[in-house]
Amino acid sequence: MYFTVPSSKNKRYLSGFDWVMGVIDHILKRSTCSGNASQIVFELDSPVESADVENSLNRFLKFFPVVQGRISRDLNLAPYWRFPGMTHGNGLNLDVCHLDSSTAQTSEMSLMREWVNRPFRDEQDHLSFHLMYTKGPKTYFGMTFDHRLFDARGAESFMHLFQENLHDNGTIHFHRDIRMTASADLSEWKDKFEAGRHLNRKIIALSKTSLKYIPVTLNHCETKKSFQFMLISFNEHDTERIFARAFEEAGYLMAMPYFLAVAAQTLHELFERKALPADSYIVPVSVDKRSSGDIRQELFFNYASMFLFQIHAHAVQDRRTLIRDIKKQMYEQIQSCFPENLLKAAALLRIAPVSFLRKIFLLPFEGKFASFCFSHIGRCSYLSPEFMGAKINNLFHMPRVPVPPGIGIFFNSYNGMLNVVISWLDGLVGDDDIGTVECNLRKMLCGK
Amino acid sequence: MTPKEIEDTLIKGIASILSKNESSVASDLPLHQLGIDSMGFVEILVYIEKTFKLQLIESDLTKKDFETIHALASFISKQL
Repeated sequence: MYFTVPSSKNKRYLSGFDWVMGVIDHILKRSTCSGNASQIVFELDSPVESADVENSLNRFLKFFPVVQGRISRDLNLAPYWRFPGMTHGNGLNLDVCHLDSSTAQTSEMSLMREWVNRPFRDEQDHLSFHLMYTKGPKTYFGMTFDHRLFDARGAESFMHLFQENLHDNGTIHFHRDIRMTASADLSEWKDKFEAGRHLNRKIIALSKTSLKYIPVTLNHCETKKSFQFMLISFNEHDTERIFARAFEEAGYLMAMPYFLAVAAQTLHELFERKALPADSYIVPVSVDKRSSGDIRQELFFNYASMFLFQIHAHAVQDRRTLIRDIKKQMYEQIQSCFPENLLKAAALLRIAPVSFLRKIFLLPFEGKFASFCFSHIGRCSYLSPEFMGAKINNLFHMPRVPVPPGIGIFFNSYNGMLNVVISWLDGLVGDDDIGTVECNLRKMLCGK
Repeated sequence: MTPKEIEDTLIKGIASILSKNESSVASDLPLHQLGIDSMGFVEILVYIEKTFKLQLIESDLTKKDFETIHALASFISKQL
């Protein structure tokens, strides 16, 4: 028996995974300087006019009052995103800066770091835009986004839509394609409870082993901590070789298990020094669960789920065994519908407020979610080679990571070039440690 | 099942995994050009195992068998 609670035009029921993103936002706001935000950055080969960017963004955003929404809940069990009928003027959040001294990557990165660590202005502010002019022609454009509004592919797609409709003047009809409503999903309870039972068994089984993690110290009296980032980019030639090696070692199309194995091996040395002795690593890996081939239909909010991988610390050194084990776990989780069960079970969580769920989330692993975070965005949804007339040299993401674990490695490709971004909570590890991780990562990926 | 029927069944399953129309899934294109990543690939394996009652893990699959849907259909046809 199916029934759908009708959604009004300015109300969008949140899915279980959207609610999980809300819980992580709550956890991050409590423990660090900002919430569950990420950032998409374009490195451009020439400057773009800031006034043009401002006008175009203003014009574009007028079509999307959803970006000024906030979480709400009536007597109904399901929380929803309530947004105004039309955008109102709290203004475009665009800041422009000029890098006047050195153009070294560290300075550029430190500014980008400030962008993503800056909290949004209020509960209805979920996007901020940034332009950075360097001493040379190279220019950076960044969009910081609240993960409650978009997932990473949604953010790429949003920027692609902006670029695609750059020259349309208020006559655009693209918004018709975007699905803005969703069912409250308050049916099929038995199915959801069964999914929850399967999920619970898996989590209990995982929680029986001791988890390797780097202890996080959060002093709530001091200034709340921000995140640090390191970007490692590979040119087309190196990227081609890296993927050839991945397919050779892990099998055809097996890039994700290969990169996860490399990430685990790279971080193992760091964990051996920083973490307490323990049996295994637990790594959540997000997977895209869009039901439509056209990403525009599922642009706003989150359409992802997760795998949970367990990597035995004693088996990390042997790459061949490690890859085989990761592939086996991926196969078993797909066969047992783990990502789908997680989504169904998460729908049940919506009944509880985020503050309560924060405590529940921390229970199974005694306060530690995972050893580190990992993702690999296989397909880029920003399909244009340029942004506002400037050629794009590179496109990468800078996600803030849930705390704990407070550290993550993220892979994405743009235009045949692989990027790896390491994200970590300030003070969790030192610059020397990250330098070693970078060096090992380059060695392992390039086989040098 | 004939190889053509196997191919049609594969196209149907892969279109569903990729959330695409069956008409946009070409049987002679390499799988990566269809937009299949590692998760999609494993989903295809599971779909084949369930649909054709085959144990692919225990079979002698090579990279060549997975190059296109057409090649995959030929492999399955030999296994049935």
